Formats: sequence, C-alpha cells, structure tokens
Amino acid sequence: MALIFGVPLVLLAVVIGVFVYTNGAGLNVRPAAPVETVQFGRTILQPGLIEIRLRNTSPEEIRIAQVQVNDAMWAHAIYPSRTIPRLGSAVITLNYHWVQGEAYEVTLFSANSIPFHTSIPVATTTAPASPATLWSFTLIGVYVGIIPVVLGMFWLPALKRIGARPLMFLMSATVGLLIYLGIDATTEALESGAELGDAFQGTGLVGIGIAGAFLLLDAVSRQQMTIGKSEAGQRMTLATMIAVGIGLHNLGEGLAIGAAYAVGAAALGTFLVVGFILQNITEGLGIIVPISKDQPAMRSLALLGLIGGGPAIAGTWIGGLLYSQPLSVLFLAIGAGAVFQVAYEIGKQMIWKDSARRHMPLTTFGGILTGMLVLYITGLAIK
Amino acid sequence: MGDSPANPGRSQDAPAGQAISRRALLRAGIGGAGLAGAAAIAVSLHSATGPDTPGQLPPHVHGQHPMPTVVGEVDHARNGFHPTDILTDFDAGAVSQLPNGQTLHEYTILAQDKMIEIVPGLEYPAWTYNGRIPGPTIRVREGDRVRIQFLNGSDHEHSIHFHGVHPGNMDGVFDAASGVVGPGGKYTYEFDAEPFGVHLYHCHTSPLAAHIAKGLYGAFIIDPKQGRPKADREFVMVMSGFDVDFDGTNDFYVVNGIPFHYDHDKNPIRLKVGELVRIYLVNILEFDPANSFHLHANFFHYYPTGTSLTPAEFTDTIALMQGQRGILEFRYKYPGRYMFHAHKTEFAELGWTGVFEVEA
Repeated sequence: MALIFGVPLVLLAVVIGVFVYTNGAGLNVRPAAPVETVQFGRTILQPGLIEIRLRNTSPEEIRIAQVQVNDAMWAHAIYPSRTIPRLGSAVITLNYHWVQGEAYEVTLFSANSIPFHTSIPVATTTAPASPATLWSFTLIGVYVGIIPVVLGMFWLPALKRIGARPLMFLMSATVGLLIYLGIDATTEALESGAELGDAFQGTGLVGIGIAGAFLLLDAVSRQQMTIGKSEAGQRMTLATMIAVGIGLHNLGEGLAIGAAYAVGAAALGTFLVVGFILQNITEGLGIIVPISKDQPAMRSLALLGLIGGGPAIAGTWIGGLLYSQPLSVLFLAIGAGAVFQVAYEIGKQMIWKDSARRHMPLTTFGGILTGMLVLYITGLAIK
Repeated sequence: MGDSPANPGRSQDAPAGQAISRRALLRAGIGGAGLAGAAAIAVSLHSATGPDTPGQLPPHVHGQHPMPTVVGEVDHARNGFHPTDILTDFDAGAVSQLPNGQTLHEYTILAQDKMIEIVPGLEYPAWTYNGRIPGPTIRVREGDRVRIQFLNGSDHEHSIHFHGVHPGNMDGVFDAASGVVGPGGKYTYEFDAEPFGVHLYHCHTSPLAAHIAKGLYGAFIIDPKQGRPKADREFVMVMSGFDVDFDGTNDFYVVNGIPFHYDHDKNPIRLKVGELVRIYLVNILEFDPANSFHLHANFFHYYPTGTSLTPAEFTDTIALMQGQRGILEFRYKYPGRYMFHAHKTEFAELGWTGVFEVEA
C-alpha cells in the first residue's frame, strides 16, 4: 500500500535528478547575476563596539567580503563564518567609536560585489537585560494593555442602564472596532512581511497566521457554545472570546512596542503611550458589551481584563528580548485573524440573533461605522 | 556612496532621520529591518562585551586605535600583478634603433576582461591592459618613436587614447581608422613621444565612464632629452576608483589598483632619511570630480604635468582633476611612519591611503 503511494514520489525524484544533472534540461537556468538578499536583525551597540546580526535570505550561500561604516572600510570579525549558508545567520563585530545620538550607515559587500545597507538612525548603548529593563517592559505593557482595557470595563454599570437599541449600537460599534483593528493589523503584517526577504514568504506567513487564528478560535467557540450552557453562560463565553481575540491583538502590539522601545525614550514619548491608551480603552468596552445585562463576578471581570490586556506585557518581553522578525509578522497576523473571528462571532451570536427578534438595520450600520470612525479619528489625532 | 535603484543588492531600510510616528515605530519594531537597525537595539540577553559574545573582536594592532582598513590580503599571484612592483616597473618596451637614428620603443598591449580581487574576498569583473590595473607604465625619452601593437582580447570594443602630441589617426577615439578595435582585432599606434612630462593613456570607447572605471588606464612618462636630475627612488602612482555595484559612484578609492595596499599593516613603502624621492602621479578617477594627494610631515616640490624642470609649487597637498598629473619630489628629514593619502577623508578611508616607512 505504502509502495503504491510512493510511486509518484519516486518518479518525481527521478525527474528532479535528471533536471539537476543535465543543468536545467535545455533551459538556461543560470542567472546573469547572483540573487543575494539578507535580512538584518538587531544591532547591538556598546561603547566602542557595533554588533550587527543578519540572516541570509537568498537562494544560495553568501560570502561577506568587506564592511564599510559611514564611507570608511572597517576592520571586523564575523562569527561563525564569513560564508553564510542559505537561511543561516551571522554576527559582525566592529571596533568603532560611535557617538551617542548620531546616525550610522553600515554597508556590507558580498564576494559578488553586492552591497547590503543597514542603518543605525540614532546610536545609543543597547540596554543589557536586567530586572530594571524587564520592569520597564512590564510597565509599558501595563500602560498600553491592561490599564486601557480595564478602564474600558468600568463602563459596565453604565451599560446596565441602557436599552436594547443603544446596546445593539454598542455591540455593532465593537464589531466595527474589531474589523478596523483587523484590517490595520493585516496591513501591518503584510508590510512587515514584505521586508522579511523572499525565503520567509511574508505574505504566506500572514495568511497562515490569519487563517489559523480565525479557524482555531472558530472551532473553540463552536465547541464552547454546544456544551449546553445557559444563554448567560454563552454570553460569558463570547466575552471571553472577545478578550482572547483582543489579547492576541495586543500581544502583537506589545511585541512591536517592545522591539521599538529601545530606539530611546524619546521615540516612545508620553504622547504615544497616551495614544495607545485612548485607542485601547474601546477594547475594554467591547469585551463587556455581551455581558452587560448579566451579573458577572468581579473575578470573572478581572480575568477578562487580564486576558484582553495582559498579552501586551508578554509581547513587550518577547519583542524586546527575543527579537525575531518572522515571529513578529506571525504574531501580528494571528492578532488580525483573532479579531476578525471575534467580529464574526459577535455578529453571529448577538447581532443576528437579536435581529431575528427585533430588526434594527440602521442601528447596526451606524454602530459598525461609528466603531471604525472612532479608531480612525483617534488615529488621526495620535499618528 | 549614493544608493541608486540600480543597486542589485536589496536591503530593507527605512531612511534615517524621519520623524518617528507611532505607525513607523511599530513598523520599525516588527520585521522592519528598517529602523531595526535602531530598534534592533532592543535589549540583549547577553552583554555584547560579555564572555558569551559570539563575535570575537576584530584583530587590530596593539595600542593603536582602530583605523579604516580591509580585512585580509588579496591574492596577488592570482590577480597576476603586485602593486608594490607597479610602483617601479617602468617599461621601456623592446628598444631598437631606426635607420634614421631615432630610438624605437615597441610594446604589445592586450585588452583583457579579467576578474580581479580588488579587496580581500571581493572579485571585480575588470577590463585591463595586460591583465593589470593600472596598465604597464610606458616610459620613453622625448623624441623617441613609440610603436604600440594593441590587441583586443576582450568581449568589447576598446582603444588606447594617449595624452600627448600625435596625429589624429593615433588618437583612439572615433573608428577603426583612428584606433578603435573590436573584439579579436588589432591596431598599431605609432608616434613620436612629445612633450616631455608625465602623461597617461586610457581607453576612449563609449560608454566612456565604464571603459575608464573598469580599469583601462595607465601612466605614460616621457623623460626630457637631457633627463631629470638623478633621484634615489622613483615611483609611479595612478589614482583611480572602483564602482563595484555599478551605481555610478565609487565604492573604493585606490592608488595602483589595490585599495589599502601600501597601508601600515600591509605593504608600506620603505625609504631612507635624506633619499630624493620622485613620484609620477596620475589621476584618472572616474565619477568624482577631483582627487588629491597629501604627504604627511613633509613638503614636496610640485611639477604640474612634469612639463617643466622648474617646480611650480612647494606644498604638502595638491588637487587634481581627472586626467591631471604631475611630478612630486621630496626627501624625509626624520625617520618614522608617514601617511600619504587623498586629502578627502572619504577617499582615504575607502582605500586611497598608504604609508612611507622611513628608516634612519
């Protein structure tokens, strides 16, 4: 049986063998110039020292011949080797007395005379990992993740007093908000993915992240909904799903902030943190909308806040400490897939169900549009 | 060092110095190798200077601060020429007497496409005269007959255009009749050498910038009839550059073919205190408007184009446009290590730098 399944594979191996052996079987497969691309990773700066990480994302191995810093050839060491295999990485070390706050352009020349440029826009000593920096990252995560989400949840008492129509409006606004976040995260993931280098197939990675997150959350919610819960229980499940989706989204956001934080406190000013708080406060509101007519326990609410906002902290740690670009793209995509799924879930569970009882198409329309416009307008103000 | 779209290498950079918006900030963080340089700065799990640092520090001379250089030494044997030899390999050609009593210098020069390792590990598809950059240093006396059989072994049309006085059909510019030679072809340039001085020759085929920049040039020295006062040491220095990524700007600057060759840690030029040193200096640098020469801890007499036996200037720095050349004469008063380089820091730090090691 296994043999029969193996036949096409054996034939395929033969064809590939012939193609390689005959050097393209009549096709001219030799490129006029070698295709060489690299993906730069982190640059670490210590006094008198520059350390550059890179990965070879081209079809063949690359040999780094020489290194240039700001229009001067510079002595350097390359670990583990000057020759970097496909998808392999290397660390380049230079003795260079860089100046605090100045900009540097580093150019690597491959053996085939192909230059690769990377820049250090603002030179500053890379902070070593210490409890203090870990604490800073945690604080950033708390400010941009937990605080706004929890603050948003304080609307719960107010929500209890409003009627069915305003509630439907808010629910729709949450959907609009999530759609907006999803589109934003998708764009972000695609843009970052495009910079990954061919080998990592950024767009494909984004597709995997979005589809994977969407389908997984969908499966989980179907399973949860069918295990015979009360309507209140189902609404709590939905709130949890929203929190998970928003949490995954915040993980991606935290990741980005964590990695960028090191650009210097100046880059991530008070203004930007306030911006994050403003935008993310609506996420807290979104989480509690489905359970606004129930009597959730304080413990459940705290847990929802933690699920929605906490991942931002984990994100800053991962982004700051274990910087990995493909992983970042994947996380962003997962965040996008998650919020799309949650938007769909709210639509399915609440809006359509309620619409069956009482039709409110204009409220739904107005709500969704308002949700998107709120993010658009806060974005205008802070970007 | 500009970037142009022609750059074959792809890098993933955001321009530096932009205002950093929240969006840009995020992009920087995520995957954006862009600011990644900067962003990259994230926190390192290990201190970069700690014992678990993966990269060893680059080797550099004890007690000396790091100076611009390339790592390693090129394979001169495989290149087929050595810049230290080029300093002094003045070539009189095959010398004979013509029936009219005139001295005849006969040369054979072959244009050849050749991979040259210009800096360690980096091979450049050069075009050469006789497989070297610069080409042979032709040296004759004023009034001598020069006969050069030019063979084109390259895949492209080439010529030799001499600076000097000669008939139009010896100028190597327009067509086969004036010495432009197709692949596999040949031509004989023949003329009387005049005026005396330090001159140059180079290919004059279009596109001209490429034909010069890829290596087709050399020095052409015509000594005065009565000769010059005897010097203890005579050197040829041909200043040029290499645009290895074909973006119309030089990536390396050089004297005599190999960047940094005469640097202190590579092949410095050894002199003795008091020796009269004469340098035949030629600038054929493409793409940049000017080049220069600066001598450390000393002054030199300068003879522009070498066409007079009286120096025009006593200085330590001169500037030369493409095609300009001259003769420098100096003696070192004290022993020591002295740099000579382009007094344009970028050129010097990208390869046009060298050292005289002067012994007592």
